[in-house]
Amino acid sequence: MVLVETKVPSDIEGDLYLGIDVGSVSTKFAIINDNMELIYATWARSQGSPIKSVQKGFEEMKNSLDSIESQIRGVGTTGSARYLTKALVGADIAKTEIIAHAVAASYYIPGVRTILEIGGQDSKVILLKDGIITDFAMNTICAAGTGSFLDHQAHRLGVPIEKFGELAAKSTVDVVIAGRCTVFAESDMIHKQQMGHSKEDIIKGLCEALVRNYLNNVCKGKKLEPPITFQGGVAANSGIRRAFEKELGCEIIVHKYFLTMGAIGAAMLAREHVLHEDIKTNFRGFRVSDMKFIPKAFNCKDCPNQCEVTYVEKGDGEIIARWGDRCGKWSL
Amino acid sequence: MMRLKVTFPHMGYNWVCFKTLVEGMGAEAFLPDYNNVKQLDPGLKHSPEWICFPFKVTLGNFIAALEDGCKVIAMATDCGPCRFGFYYAVQERILRDLGYDFEMKYLPQGDLLTFEWVDLLKSLCPDKSLFNNYLVFRTARLFLMKCQLVQDIEKYEGLTRCYEINPGETTQIAKKCVQMVDAANRYYKLRQLRSRIRRMFREIPQRKRNGTLKVGLTGEIHVTLDPFTNHDIKRKLGELGCEVHMDLSLYDWIVHKFHLNFHRKYLEYLSKTHKKIGGLQMDIGGEAYWVLGEYINWAKRGFDGFVHTYPFTCMPEITAKSIITKWYGDRIFDLPPAFFPFDEHAGEAGFVTRLEAYVELLKTRKEKMKNGTRRN
Repeated sequence: MVLVETKVPSDIEGDLYLGIDVGSVSTKFAIINDNMELIYATWARSQGSPIKSVQKGFEEMKNSLDSIESQIRGVGTTGSARYLTKALVGADIAKTEIIAHAVAASYYIPGVRTILEIGGQDSKVILLKDGIITDFAMNTICAAGTGSFLDHQAHRLGVPIEKFGELAAKSTVDVVIAGRCTVFAESDMIHKQQMGHSKEDIIKGLCEALVRNYLNNVCKGKKLEPPITFQGGVAANSGIRRAFEKELGCEIIVHKYFLTMGAIGAAMLAREHVLHEDIKTNFRGFRVSDMKFIPKAFNCKDCPNQCEVTYVEKGDGEIIARWGDRCGKWSL
Repeated sequence: MMRLKVTFPHMGYNWVCFKTLVEGMGAEAFLPDYNNVKQLDPGLKHSPEWICFPFKVTLGNFIAALEDGCKVIAMATDCGPCRFGFYYAVQERILRDLGYDFEMKYLPQGDLLTFEWVDLLKSLCPDKSLFNNYLVFRTARLFLMKCQLVQDIEKYEGLTRCYEINPGETTQIAKKCVQMVDAANRYYKLRQLRSRIRRMFREIPQRKRNGTLKVGLTGEIHVTLDPFTNHDIKRKLGELGCEVHMDLSLYDWIVHKFHLNFHRKYLEYLSKTHKKIGGLQMDIGGEAYWVLGEYINWAKRGFDGFVHTYPFTCMPEITAKSIITKWYGDRIFDLPPAFFPFDEHAGEAGFVTRLEAYVELLKTRKEKMKNGTRRN
């Protein structure tokens, strides 16, 4: 998937900032310049190992952008593996994806009031006013209504996920699928399938069920005011976008950088941090891709909690990050 | 004379209080380990799936104790409006079905002025012939003293942590204080401890900073007070630079049940007087009634944040949550709330993300308010 048109690296001048968004399904990289313009963006599938996917992305950048490495003045990380990645690449800040998405969206879409963000494992809604977050919500215990569920159902229906939106558009009949819990949605869907409904109708019903579930569970009790933007991997799915438009009765903006918004936000936050504190970056450089990082784990036996403590060792035996304990004894 | 071996559920630091209650009456207290994953497992396995989380945690405690040969279980109950009222009965059935032989003693705590608890205490005493009412009085007094000290420890801990210079020192001091409270079993010693604990917390090297956030923490009592259940939310908030204020404690609850807690009465008054905008009119179980009062109270006192913790399927707290969300959404009160439902999830990533984002929200909001603009 091509995210953005990238310039010829030799053209780039001035200071650059790198943002890395390590999500559950994919890892996104974005480089912006001092004028907040996106210079370069790429992504890699996480496939269960954030370390490997970060290294994969860095390798790609090393091959195409080696000449500009020295221009990077700040690095920011976000996403669920932000602390690990921060330790890995020597980033300057690690911020939550909620902040990162809000910062980037309010820059690219001035005056935005609501951000709907559905990713691989979590879904969020962020409410803003004058570029300041006033409220947010995130799915708590239930992971329903996220990209992983759609992925799984696409696989079940034998439809590539990229075609979901296209197929949903072809639907002619409204099929209602229970959206309260995706476990039941699945059985409902199978049932409808057996009854002889067409694939297109079921896909559209599924998109609408997911949107209903999201609005009922995540956005419960919140006023979603336009302009509304839709970000995260699921925004690529035009079926979901149309379902949102139908449900909310207003236009949903999907910015062309919808997938990398988090990474761009992390880069912006890094820029702000570096300029504000006037510090030199700790960035290890693109050579991170060649370094050896060994993730290890042990069970702490000091109390009955028996926490699984995980740590990452650099090739030379230096421990760069350690976490997973409840008491804070091992955290590094 | 056979001494009874009595066990009771864990709730944060409050085990020291319950221990006094049992040992003061001459029985032997059996303490399961602090709540932990290993103990929780059987609790999860044998609980109904949709029951509130404290039920599963306490059931885990009981199973661990019964496995170790304990024969008597003490459990509080209530004819309260929420599921807590049925905890002891359902738990007793589950444990009997599992084939354990034990005796369940329950403490009706709906109104402590009925003095039903005296019968419970008397039944723990092994030597009936020597029985005198002074023993009950002495035990109850020690229990209340210890509850008060534990409340102090919890309070100072929340207020100090964000200022500490050496990370982790507050936690160490708090643990030490709990040990001290546990060791002291005389009235005069406990009285001395009160100022000593305050001094110990004050002596922690601190750096006063501008811009610390004042955050109130409240919610369902078991979840809010037990660091295992709530993933140590108080410590995490402190480490993120928040001064954590807490009015909730076991002492607070006990005194309320003796009809002497004027703070709670005030919270009830606040919730009642905001009838027009949806304040509750009566206790609906859990802490919902007081959570609403607390929200109004803290909003009026100009707090920066409000953190509400509760078990995932808790009806009363969810009611309170919806009302607070509406109040904040309609801009009736200007205090951003954050809600943290807890269940058996072990992965902390999502929880920590929400917590960090919330604190970040409070920080930017505070900065903006300092610059003169208010949210409107």
